[in-house]
Amino acid sequence: MNWSWRTWLVLVLLVAVVSAALYFPALRRQVDKAKDLTEKTAEQARRELLPPAPVNSGEPKVQAKMYWGSKSEAGQVVPIVVELPLSNDPVLRAKQILNTLLAGPVDPEARTLPADAALLAFYLLPDGTAVGDFSEAIATSIPSGIESEQLAVDSITRTLAANVPQVQRLKILIHGQEVDTLAGHLDLTQPFQVSMNGVAEPRSGVSVITAPIGKAIEKVRDATKR
Amino acid sequence: MGLNIVVLDPSHGGVDLGARGTEGIHESEVVLQFSDQLKRALEGQGFQVITTREGNDNPSFDDRSARANAQRGAVFVTLHIGSTGLPGTVRTYVMPDFPPSDDVSGLIPWDRAQAPFTELSRKLGGLVQAELSKRFKGSPPSAQTAPVRQLRTTAAPAIAVEVASVSVENRAELDRMIPGVAEAIARGVAAFRPSYILPAMPGTTSGPGGPP
Repeated sequence: MNWSWRTWLVLVLLVAVVSAALYFPALRRQVDKAKDLTEKTAEQARRELLPPAPVNSGEPKVQAKMYWGSKSEAGQVVPIVVELPLSNDPVLRAKQILNTLLAGPVDPEARTLPADAALLAFYLLPDGTAVGDFSEAIATSIPSGIESEQLAVDSITRTLAANVPQVQRLKILIHGQEVDTLAGHLDLTQPFQVSMNGVAEPRSGVSVITAPIGKAIEKVRDATKR
Repeated sequence: MGLNIVVLDPSHGGVDLGARGTEGIHESEVVLQFSDQLKRALEGQGFQVITTREGNDNPSFDDRSARANAQRGAVFVTLHIGSTGLPGTVRTYVMPDFPPSDDVSGLIPWDRAQAPFTELSRKLGGLVQAELSKRFKGSPPSAQTAPVRQLRTTAAPAIAVEVASVSVENRAELDRMIPGVAEAIARGVAAFRPSYILPAMPGTTSGPGGPP
């Protein structure tokens, strides 16, 4: 009887050891996976959670006016007309427009915002004040300076003014936080006026993109997939 | 009281290097040299000069503004070297007009300290930029408006001057510009002296710089 009890104990211990040996690699894989997840920045996780602003090709195409950098006049933005399928909902439309702006122009030299920056959220209050929450890259990847920071904000506010008339003012947040400046110079503590008043069109007039429309839409799609 | 003090603000400093060029040029370092040259040029025009920093430290925006706000009869000039722009050009910036305030307390909030001075700042900026554009071809003929954080909290005629740029291939290009930029700013500030009539402030009849 005594011998039998010992045998059972040894058998149970043997089964436990074999089970642990089999389970250990799976457990290790799970721990590694969990580690990878925690190493993702909070921003990446947030971006994954946020639904992108879809560009629905079923929406009617409209001529959207995008303000990108001028190649002939340093520090100035110029309007480029791009045909895009845009929503009539002002928040969705603003997201689509800003994602297009972030995706950048066909000519990369006319870019006004960092290529790795993303729009995390966009809200519109009943009084016309909008809140645009951008990823940290908009501050860390932009060339520091009054001219370059002003160019970035000009391109955002003028593009919103031209395409989303419901937006009267824009408050810019970086990764959900209110910050003093964009990259050391331009004041982000106050909202920017979004208005077409006083916006002078360039001497050469408005450029209209016709041929690369498909490419532009593709860029919007890519941007909204982030 | 007339204009007799210029508060110079070499931007950034300490761990904040400001704009950084590919050739290792740091804005925070170049503006210190720029400030020294400008101090001498302004003293040559008979001004007393106060600087917000002289070494590699980084006072806060508010501390820098406070240096100017504590003076009577002063203007404020913040100095920058940009990352972009046509190399060899210089731009002067002033704050845009502030939206109307519904504050009825009669006090000026700290974050609107520049509001009563925007017209004077535009005048100062215009005179300085006119001098700069004469010397540095390709620079705009007039001052630009931009909501520069440092200017917002400054209760004095205030301008930001940005030289292009840290992206020059050789630091010597910037070094050669600095004496001319300093001289042009000093001339512009001197030309502004007769215009220095401070606006009436809440609770006073003649403004902070006027007779009691």
